[in-house]
Amino acid sequence: MREIAIVAYKCTKCGRIHYPFHDRCLACKGREFETIKPQGNARLLTFTRIYNLPWGFDQRFLTIGVAEFENGVRAMGQINVDEDFLLTSGMAVKASWEPVRIQAGENVYGLIYSPES
Amino acid sequence: MEINLHARDVAVIGVGMIPFGRRDEDSLMDMLAYASLKALDDAGLGDKSVDAVYVGNMGGGILQHQTAIASSLVDRLSLLPAAAETVENGPASGGSAVKNGLLAVASGYYDYVLVVGGEKMREVTGWRATDFIATMTHPQAEYIYGVTLPGMAGMFTRLYMEKYGVTREQLITVALKNQEMGALNPYAHVEMALSREGIFDSPHAVVNNPPLADPLHLYDACPVSDGAAALVLCPLEMARKINKPPVVIAGFGQATDTQTLQERDDPTDLKAVTLAAQGAFEMAKLTPGEIHVAELHDAFTILEIAESEHVGFFKKGEGGKAALAGKTRFGGQIPINVSGGLKARGHPVGATGVAQVVDIVFQLRHELPKNRQVKNAENGLTVNFGGFGNNVLAFVLRRVKQ
Repeated sequence: MREIAIVAYKCTKCGRIHYPFHDRCLACKGREFETIKPQGNARLLTFTRIYNLPWGFDQRFLTIGVAEFENGVRAMGQINVDEDFLLTSGMAVKASWEPVRIQAGENVYGLIYSPES
Repeated sequence: MEINLHARDVAVIGVGMIPFGRRDEDSLMDMLAYASLKALDDAGLGDKSVDAVYVGNMGGGILQHQTAIASSLVDRLSLLPAAAETVENGPASGGSAVKNGLLAVASGYYDYVLVVGGEKMREVTGWRATDFIATMTHPQAEYIYGVTLPGMAGMFTRLYMEKYGVTREQLITVALKNQEMGALNPYAHVEMALSREGIFDSPHAVVNNPPLADPLHLYDACPVSDGAAALVLCPLEMARKINKPPVVIAGFGQATDTQTLQERDDPTDLKAVTLAAQGAFEMAKLTPGEIHVAELHDAFTILEIAESEHVGFFKKGEGGKAALAGKTRFGGQIPINVSGGLKARGHPVGATGVAQVVDIVFQLRHELPKNRQVKNAENGLTVNFGGFGNNVLAFVLRRVKQ
């Protein structure tokens, strides 16, 4: 399994965690950041199942959500569940790093969340 | 030229709009020109030119493969040598164009300014149009996953429902109200009222109104539209010479927020809406309770409810109940989206912020038929919502007593 390639940024001055990158801290305007990786399991904050997909997605629907990892990193990802799977906010999910779309014939990797079994 | 840095009151002396919808026969430039000519004629400028033109457009570079749109428009309209700029700010491009025109006249630098917003979205497939709108999301943290604006709205709706108890019935009430009003508006894309039974109550509703991005359904979303709208602005003292009830842009506010929803401390808090509205109210020296009619950016039904709370019409968590109780209907406590809103008038993204102002000017001039005219309306509000609430403009308009 590939390592999750997301890097988040923790402000060295106030500790606020950012993802994606900002040149200045959203809270204190600090410019120094420690890079951190999403750690541990994650909890689903919100999600949706999209049926009207954009160009590049030749499928019937796509389930997408935002999850928060144990170390406070929040990130969007696709959710790997069947259409009839009952997702709930706060549900524990496991993250993996897998192809999320194809662009110019190449796989683009991103976060895939799966419910904890 | 000596620049007068003392702000002047700015009036809207001309408005123009073309019917929104699917306009296969017209190019983007055709639509911008038609709306502009209507506004110039409404202003009674005759063969006179304007000093500057601001064009709100989001997607000409992507959808029509055309750039420098404002330069092309001034040439087509023979407004040379007027200054001209295209203003791109996502779905708030129209509002930003209005703001640029307002500041240019208020500063004293220009006297007559044409503001026009337009978009041609229906000449590409739904797939392409959805992808075009999604390009405003963060490229690495959001876009790559295939998230769409309905998808963002779906996730926001779920959070709002969980925090404030907004119901599907409340959302549907907004859709029914706005399409009922759109059916009366000759400029609306969707001139068709909906039945509650058809989209909510009956067993067939699941077929008629399928999920779009759950918990949102098809009829919770605005259509993808072609269209254009335009305004002519000038200082109030010059507007008084024109035989029309002067309407001034009494206040404006703009604010931004994080690009991604996930980085907001409370993703249900639309801070940019609150700040933009507060700025507009403070400048106009008015309160939300003094507004008689509002055009809010209802790209999705949840947004009308959330914005009605964030601008201060209702407390947080009360907007959905107010909609269900009829308080936001024509004839209610605060009529919202009497034009039909984005939901029915349509949402040609670059046009919307301008069209909202045009619709409020119609109201404040008392020009509309009885079934849409808010009686004795003197103050109006518009909210143009860019991104997913990360760049918002609000305008307060006031009818000037003569």
